[in-house]
This record gives sequence, structure tokens and C-alpha cells, in this order.
Amino acid sequence: MTTQNNDILAVEHIDFRYREKQILKDITFSVSPGDICGLLGPNGSGKTTLLKCLNRILSNENGMIRIKGLDLSKLTRREIAGLIAVVPQELDIMFPFTVFQMVLMGGNVRFGFSGIPGRNDISDAMEVLDELDIGPLANRRYNHLSGGEKQMVLIARALFQKAEIILLDEPISHLDFKRQYTIMELIKKITADKNLTTIITLHDPNIAGRYCNRLIMLNDGCIVHEGLRNNIFHAESLAAIYDMRIKIEYTDTGTEYVLPHHIQ
Amino acid sequence: MIKNSAFLIITILLILCIIFALTTGQYHIKLDTLWKVVSLKLSGKTPSDDLATPSMVLWSVRMPRVLMAVLAGAALSVGGVVFQGIMRNPLVSPSFLGVNHGAIFGASLSIIFFSKSAFSIEGFAFFWAIAAVALVYVIGNRGVNTITTLVIAGVIVSTFFMAAGSFLKYIADPYEELPAIVYWTMGGLNNILWANVRRALVIIGIGITVIYTFRWRLNLMAIGDEEAMSMGVNVNRSRIVYMLFATLIVAAGSSSCGIIMWVDLIVAHISRMVVGSDHDVLIPFAAILGAAFLLFTDTIVRILPGGEIPISIITSFMGAPLLGYLLMKQNNEWKG
Repeated sequence: MTTQNNDILAVEHIDFRYREKQILKDITFSVSPGDICGLLGPNGSGKTTLLKCLNRILSNENGMIRIKGLDLSKLTRREIAGLIAVVPQELDIMFPFTVFQMVLMGGNVRFGFSGIPGRNDISDAMEVLDELDIGPLANRRYNHLSGGEKQMVLIARALFQKAEIILLDEPISHLDFKRQYTIMELIKKITADKNLTTIITLHDPNIAGRYCNRLIMLNDGCIVHEGLRNNIFHAESLAAIYDMRIKIEYTDTGTEYVLPHHIQ
Repeated sequence: MIKNSAFLIITILLILCIIFALTTGQYHIKLDTLWKVVSLKLSGKTPSDDLATPSMVLWSVRMPRVLMAVLAGAALSVGGVVFQGIMRNPLVSPSFLGVNHGAIFGASLSIIFFSKSAFSIEGFAFFWAIAAVALVYVIGNRGVNTITTLVIAGVIVSTFFMAAGSFLKYIADPYEELPAIVYWTMGGLNNILWANVRRALVIIGIGITVIYTFRWRLNLMAIGDEEAMSMGVNVNRSRIVYMLFATLIVAAGSSSCGIIMWVDLIVAHISRMVVGSDHDVLIPFAAILGAAFLLFTDTIVRILPGGEIPISIITSFMGAPLLGYLLMKQNNEWKG
């Protein structure tokens, strides 16, 4: 696996260890601008740890992570936030901030020394809310929203951060069937419309196969398969990461769907 | 709109409390007398013989006490808001992190081994309050997601200083030193001089100014360490800055007035309920409300029949039931 100069993100031979346990082993991959890159793997395979290394919440051992050619370990927290925004899996907060206050926080990197938003920032944040059709939620308390609405707010916050890369950690894992597709359609749309690059951890290979153009398949901290979706999305590769027999069937319209082998 | 009205109401409340405190006491000063005395002072004129006594009472006794109550109330409340924000816990107050027990230990050290002068007690209490929080930080700081360990370290350090303070009380002279320690521990503004006010004004003024300047980033700290980091906040550095200045202002208040219980916790809670969690609004609101609350309580303490009693008794009697009532009424609001 090699990385190329036009990659927006390049990960080269990184390891991560928590105490005695090796969580990530010799991870190497790259992502091009505009990619929706899915991280697939069973629980405990290292997906979330890898995302945290990409955002330098965790510091990798060995190797190097480059963002737009810059060594991530040499960037300040502020510089990293200018390049990468994060949408967490599920965020419950202790204090009752409003939706608007939550979104406005995303602009912190642009707010100067004391970190106070200006008038333009306030109108820009409102525009982002309107863009995602959640303007009417602006004065609602974030903790009073449904799971899907919270996820929309966190995506709006990431958009307001105006970073080129967005990392999403299992953004649909606790949402109902309809909301899962609503959120994924939104992610697809904003990635294309705003020239973003998206890296997203997912549990459902069907969702990953449908929305991601690039996949990284992890098992036990190692990359098992990595590359363009069309090259590696097949029953054998999925069987290797989930350690089970898997079949891929096709609907009348040619849409693939992944099933455990024993399901008729 | 609601927030503007709330600000207007508590500002009027504070002004009324100040007028009430300046005019009320064993020596009653009428409103028109108050006006005359203040006007004379502002114009630099010497008061006539009939205004000499109220002028003396006002400028030598009541005014420094009122200003100190305002400063200490604002400091304790802002300190409470900041500690709750960075610890993401509405039950945390500066006392959880050892400020009070460190101050009691320092005051006891001064009373037993050095000097019973207010200046010495204040200096020792201030130093040891800050030392206690510094110790909490050294023991409890684990980088990211360090809140739980900081709170546990606060319990450890508080317990240690409580034991050390108890030991000092045990070896103290039971006729002079022990009553002095016990009385200081219960808090009071009866010995406040202009010198105390000047010292507190500098420290609390600088502390609150710095905290207010960086108020908005406290919102991000209150969401979570990883969240704040992903939005560009240097969490460790910010936590040190907020803890340092919050500790400074609380220690400045406690060292001058002794330990005043509950003001930090209760005012921070009420303020969050009224104006929400945005520190842009929360910090000034808590400062004004805290100033009014402590000043009102101190005035009650002064005018109670049977002589003045330590202020913490009243703040605890008022604070604990009020907080209990608010908790029952709000239906788990903080958890959303």
C-alpha cells in the first residue's frame, strides 16, 4: 500500500497500544479528496481508536499521519481543528445548551484569542442550521432532542467548523431504520456539495456498501482489506473481518445486500 | 428578552440590597442621611457635626463590609460556575477541590504558630487554599478525560487537610486559639477593613476579568474534553487557567471572610436555571446574584436579635432547603 501526493489524508505504518494491549497494528492507508471512506469491522477491531488517532485525541506510536501533506504530530490543537471536524457517536451533555449554542461552538477555531463569536459568526451558524432544515430547532435544548435530531445538530456543528475532513464515529448506530438513511443521505450530499472528505465508522456493511466509495476493513487492530469499494466489497472480504460465512444477494434492480450465510 | 428582564431584576435587587445594608443595623441611617453623606464624600467636603456619626459608621464600618460582601459573593459564585463548568458536574463547588479545608488549615497554622492578626490569617488561608487545589491538580490530572480523577483527588486532599486542621485544633490552646479557629471557620464579615477590600478588589477584579474574557470557551469545556479538543481547545492549558483564576478569587473571598458555605453551589444552580448554561450570560448573572445573596445574608446576620452570628449558619440554613426544593421542582433538568 502506498500513499500519493494528492491524498488529503495519508496514514503510514502507525501502531497504537493501550497499556499492554496492542489496539492498532501497522495501519497504512490513504484517502483522496471527496472520498466517503467507511471503516468496517467488528466491535473491538480498532475503528474508534483509529478515528481518535486521526484527530490526535490519541497519539499513535511509530509511523506518521499526514493531513494535506502536514505531519499531524507537529500541528497545534487549533490547526488540527481547522482541518478535521468530528461527529461523535452519541453525545449527551450535562448542561442544557441550546441547539444554536451547540452549533456555534463549532466555529471556535475562527473566534480569535478570547474565543468570542462575532455577529457574522452568529448569522453564519444560523445559515448552517437552515441549510440542514433544522433552523426551527435553534432555541430547543439539545438534550431534549431525539437521537436523529441530535445527530443532525452535531453534523451542523461539524459543517460550521468548516474543516475539509469530517470524521464520523458510528453516527447511525442508535438511530431507527428511517433516520439511518436520512443521515447517510445527508452525509453523502454535504460531502459532494461542500467538497469534503468523510471518514465514517459503520457497523452495517449494507450501509457501507451503499454510501462509501472507499472501504477500510479492520479486524483485531489490523487492516484486512483496503481500497476502492468496488474492488474489495465481496463476501470473502466481509467474511474475513466478521469471522463468519457471508453471502451477497441481489434485488431485482441489482442492488446488493449482505446477509449471514445461513439466512434464507 | 427573559434574560434581559432577569438581569434587570437582579441588578435592581442588588442595588436595593446595598441600600438596605448601608442603612440598616444597630445604628440606623435614614435614606436622606445616606444620600447627604455619600454626596459630601463624593464632593470631597467634610461632614457637619450632625452628620459626623453616620459618616463615620458608613465609611469606617458599613461601606467596607458591604463592598466585601459584594466582592466575596461575586467571587464565590463565579468560582462555583467555573468549577462546575470545567468539571461538567453541577454538584461540584470549589470546596470539593480542597479550597475550604486548605484555607482552614492555613488560618489555623497562622493562629497557633504565627500571628492572630487578620493580615497573617488572611495570607496563610489564601496560600494554603491555592496549595490545596494545586495538589489536587498534581494528583488528579490525567490529561484527557481527567474529571473523575480530579474529583477523587479533591476528596483525598480535602480529607487530608481536614485531618490536619483537626489536629491543629486538637493541639490549640482551648481558651484563645481554638475559639478563634472555630469562629473563623464559620465565616463572617464583621472584621472587614478597607485594606481587606482593596486586596480582595485587586485579586477578585483581575480573576473575574480573566474568566469573563475567556467565558465562551468554558462552554466547550463544559461539553467534554474530547469534544473541546476536536473543536480546537487546548484542554489541559485551559483547565489550568480556569482552575487557577477561579481558585484565586474564591481564596481571596474565603481568606478575608472565613468559610462561607453554600453560596457557590446555590447561586450557580439558580443562575443556570434562570439564564441557561451559556457562560457568556451565566458568569455576569451569577456574579450579580451572588453579590446580592451574600450581602442580603450578611445584613440579616447583622440585624438578628441577640447579636451577630456566623454567616455560614444562615447561608447553610437558606441554601440547603432551597437547593432541595429546586431539585425536586426541576425534574432532572440537568440531565435533559
